Amino acid sequence: MVFSATSEIINNTAIITLSGELDASSAPDFKSEVEKVTERGLIRLVLRMADLDYMASAGLRVFIFAKQKLGSDKEIYVVSPQEMVLDTLEKTGFHNRLVIVDSYDPTTSP
Amino acid sequence: MHPLTVPGTLDSLKAIANYVITVATEVGLDKKSIYRLRLAVDEVATNIILHGYQASGIQGNLQVNAAFDESKLEIVIEDTTPLYDPYQTEAQISAQDPSRPLEDRSLGGLGLYLAIHGVDQFSYERLGDQNRTIFVVHCAPATSQESVARTLQNPEHP
Repeated sequence: MVFSATSEIINNTAIITLSGELDASSAPDFKSEVEKVTERGLIRLVLRMADLDYMASAGLRVFIFAKQKLGSDKEIYVVSPQEMVLDTLEKTGFHNRLVIVDSYDPTTSP
Repeated sequence: MHPLTVPGTLDSLKAIANYVITVATEVGLDKKSIYRLRLAVDEVATNIILHGYQASGIQGNLQVNAAFDESKLEIVIEDTTPLYDPYQTEAQISAQDPSRPLEDRSLGGLGLYLAIHGVDQFSYERLGDQNRTIFVVHCAPATSQESVARTLQNPEHP
């Protein structure tokens, strides 16, 4: 499935919705979406990943890039990753440094 | 299955993925094994394209071969990029502390780490001017699957 990344900003929280397959050929699209939203004074970055069917390490590199842009005191939330995407996050230890949640509601979160 | 030959560009990743998924599905691997094998091959192909061909400014192809029997599926990627040593890179990433903050992580080696840990056997060899990266996934023998099925159907009479 074709990769897509769309973003919105609600209450100083950037929300990027990812879908399809994230490999080295599609990672630049994800990276440019991160660059677009992290220009502003954000409090956190939320990645909706329920429809992301595949993620290679090129996606993990964008996570590192996002964290560097956001600053170490800001959290990255990963919402509802699929089982095998979560498997990759766990194998590489990235899950220790992300907030992985089943759902995220920007209107009720502080 | 006929080998797949594609140019050493990122646009070829989809074709390589489709090839691996098709073969692995035909062989009857489970979904998780298919995902991990596809990831492993994708990571190595990406490294060959970005660090082999593009970084050294040379053009070339990747050839992907598949061979299987009852016990295993073997995928081989052949390329003509300069010599590289996947084990050295893998050792570097393995030495990284997984609890390290993301912003301090090294960008290199993650893909190879996933490749090597995503299959049952990973090997690399240099043959003439070619690199050969070999991925092996063991298939569950049909007999043991049948006996599991029998056990489930007749739990009291395995």
